[in-house]
Amino acid sequence: MSTSILNIGRTGAAAARASIELTAQNIANATNPDYTRRRMEQTELVGTGRIEAQHRSTLNGVRIGDVQRFDSEFGQRQVRSSTSDLARTETEMRALGDAELALEETRLYEKLVDFEASLTLLESDPTDPALRTGALETARQLSQVFQSAEFALGNTRALVEDELTLGVSEINATVSELSRLNVELVTAREGSSGRAALLDARDAALRDLSGEVGIDVEFDQFGGVEVRILSNPPPPGENGVLLVSGSNVSQLTASQNSGLVTLNVAGTNFTAVSGAMAGRSAALADIAGRQTELDAIANSTISRANAAQAAGSALDGSPGQPLFSGTGASDIALVLGDGAGLALAPAGAPAGSRDTSNLGNLIAAFGADDGPIAAKDRLLLSLSSRISGLGTTRDGLEIIKQSAEANLLAETGVDLDAEATELIRLQQAFESNSRVMQVATGLFDTILGLR
Amino acid sequence: MTSVGNSTGAFYERSLSQMGALRVALETYQTQIATGERIMRGSDDPVGASRLRALTRLEVRGATEEENAARLAQDLTEGAEQIGGVVELLQRARELAVAAANDPTGENGRAAIADELEQMSDELFARSNSRSITGAPLFAGTAGSPAFIRDAGGNVSYNGNGQNGSVPVVPGTEIERGVTGEQLFEFDVAGTPTSTFAVISDLAAAMRSGTGDPAVAAQDAIAGIDAALDNASRSQTVIGTRLAWVEAIQQDQQSRAINVAEKRSDIGDTDIADTIVRLQQTLTALEASQASFTRVSSLTLFNAL
Repeated sequence: MSTSILNIGRTGAAAARASIELTAQNIANATNPDYTRRRMEQTELVGTGRIEAQHRSTLNGVRIGDVQRFDSEFGQRQVRSSTSDLARTETEMRALGDAELALEETRLYEKLVDFEASLTLLESDPTDPALRTGALETARQLSQVFQSAEFALGNTRALVEDELTLGVSEINATVSELSRLNVELVTAREGSSGRAALLDARDAALRDLSGEVGIDVEFDQFGGVEVRILSNPPPPGENGVLLVSGSNVSQLTASQNSGLVTLNVAGTNFTAVSGAMAGRSAALADIAGRQTELDAIANSTISRANAAQAAGSALDGSPGQPLFSGTGASDIALVLGDGAGLALAPAGAPAGSRDTSNLGNLIAAFGADDGPIAAKDRLLLSLSSRISGLGTTRDGLEIIKQSAEANLLAETGVDLDAEATELIRLQQAFESNSRVMQVATGLFDTILGLR
Repeated sequence: MTSVGNSTGAFYERSLSQMGALRVALETYQTQIATGERIMRGSDDPVGASRLRALTRLEVRGATEEENAARLAQDLTEGAEQIGGVVELLQRARELAVAAANDPTGENGRAAIADELEQMSDELFARSNSRSITGAPLFAGTAGSPAFIRDAGGNVSYNGNGQNGSVPVVPGTEIERGVTGEQLFEFDVAGTPTSTFAVISDLAAAMRSGTGDPAVAAQDAIAGIDAALDNASRSQTVIGTRLAWVEAIQQDQQSRAINVAEKRSDIGDTDIADTIVRLQQTLTALEASQASFTRVSSLTLFNAL
C-alpha cells in the first residue's frame, strides 16, 4: 500500500515537473511572435478491476497528458487577411512615394517655369545675346532635367521590379517549407511538443506568405494546409489558384510587360488580389503610366518648341531650326547650337529684327493650360493625391491589423502574470507531492518499526 | 483549445506602436520647425502643393516681368534723353534760322551758320542712330540697326519699320518700347513729306550756297523746323507718359509680389507658434507614456517569487 502511495506521489511530482518545464518554455518564448502558449494536460490514472461481483479500483496517481496548444484559427485568419491588405497598400504607397520623390527632387516643374521665364525675359530685348544664351542654356538644363527625371523614375520602377522578383522567390521558398511541414505533420504524434512546434512553424509560414500575397487556407485532419493564392480571375468554383496541397507544390512565376504584371502558377495566368505582390503590381502599372505621361510632357515640350522655331526666323533672318531633338523624356536633347538661332521673330523678318510675335506664340503655347507646365503640375498633383489617399487607407488598415494581432495574441500569446501564477501553483504541487512521498516513507517506516 | 488572456507580447507591441506614433509626430513637427516648411512632399497636402507650384510660377513670372519693366524703363529713359537732345538741337537750329532770316549776316555769317547746321546735322544723325545699353537701336522700330542710313549724297533715309514692339509687364498688359524713327523724324510740311534731316540739311545747303535769298530760305525753313520740333516734343510726351506708366506698373508688381509671397507663406510655411505648442504637447504625451510604460512593465509577479 505504501508503495502505491509513493507511486502516486511520484506521478504527481513528475506531472508537476513536466508542467513546470512547459511553463518555463512559455516564459522563455514570451517574446517569440510565432509562439503559441501551451499547457500540459493531466488525466487521473485509476486502475479498475472486477472479480465476480467485487468491484476494485486502484489509484495510481496522475498521467502526463498531451501538450495543449492555445490556437485560434479565426484569429490567425484575421491576421492573415489584414496583413495582406496592409501589405498591398503599404508596398504600393512606398513605391509611389519613391516615384514622387524622383519627380519632385529632379525639380522638373521648376525648370519648366525657369524656361518660360527665360523666354519671357527675351521679350524685353530679343536681340540681347546674353538673354538669348541664357534662354538656350535653360533649355539645355531642361532637357537634362527631363532625362534625370526619366532616369529616377526608371530607377524606382527597376527597384519595384527587383522586389517583385524577390517576392516571387520568397513565396516559392515559403511554399516549399509549407509542403515539408505538411509531410512532417502527418507523422508527428498528436499531443506532442514536436507537433505543437510544427504547427507554430506552419502558422508563421502562413503569416509570412500572406504578407507577400493574399491566400486562402484549408486545413486537413493532420493540421496540414492547402493554400490558394486569391486570384483575379479566380479558377471556376474556387477563389484562388492552388499553390500547395499536401506535398505537392506549384512554382509561382511572374512576368512583366510594360508595367502590367502577370503571375503564373501551373500554366494559369492571373493577378494577385492582395498582399505586397498586388501592391507592387499596382505600383508598377502606376509608375509605367507616369513614365508615359512624362514622355508626353517631354514630347509636347519638344514639339511646341520646334513648331514655334519652324514658324519663325532666327536673329540672322534665316528660318528657325529645331530647338530640341528626340520624342520623349529619355532622348530629349538640345540641338540648337547658338542663342542667335532662337526664332523669336516671325518668318520672313529681316536680320536683327526685334519683332517678338513668334516668341509670344511660343510662350503662350508653352504656358497654355494643355502645355507642358500645366501637364507636369497635373502629373504631380494626381500622383501625390494618390499617395495621400493610400495613406488614409493605410492608416485604417493598420488599425485593423493591430487589433487583429491583439486579438490573436490575447488568445495565443504568453501572459507572464498567468505563467508566474502557474509557476507558484506548480511549485506548491511539486512540494505537496514530495510531502506525500515523505508520508508514504513514514508509514512504511512505522510498519517496519513494529516489534 | 481557446482561452483569452492578457498577452505580455501584445502589451509590449501596443506600447511600442503608441510611442512610435508619438515619435513620428514629434519628428514631423521638428522638421517643420527646422525647415520652416509645412509641406515636405506633395503627398503631405496634394492640393496645397499644387497651389504652391502655381504660386512659384507666378513668383518667377513676376520677377521676370519686374526685370522686363526695369529694362523697358531703361530703354524709355535712354530714348527720352536722346529726344531731349534732338529738341535742344532743333531749338538752336530755329534760333539760327530766325537769325538768318532777320539779320543781314553777310557771307561769313552764313558760312558760320551753315557750319553749325552741318554739325547739327551730324549730331542729329548720331542721335537718330543711338542705341540702348544692350546695343539695340532705339529708333528703328522692331527692325535691326542701323535706324537711319545716309547715302553718298548726304540724304538720310529711314531703315527701320513702323512697328514699335511691346513688352509684357503684367499679365494682360504690354507696353510699347518707344517711338519709331518715322514718328520722331518724319512729318509733312504743307502736304509734302519731309524729315528733320532734310529740313536742317536743306537750310545748311541754302546758307552755304548763297544762291537766291538766304533770308527767304531761312524764313521757309522755320516752318519745317517748327514741324520737326512739334514732332519731337510729341514723341517726348509719348515716352514720358509710358515711363510714368511703367513706374506705376513697377509699384503694382511689387505689391503683387508681396501678395504672392503672403499667399505662399499662408499655404506652405510652418505656423511656428502652433507647431511649437503641438510639439510640446506631443513631447509631454511621449514622456508620460514612457514613464507609465516603465512603471507598468516593471509590475511583474516574478518579483514576488
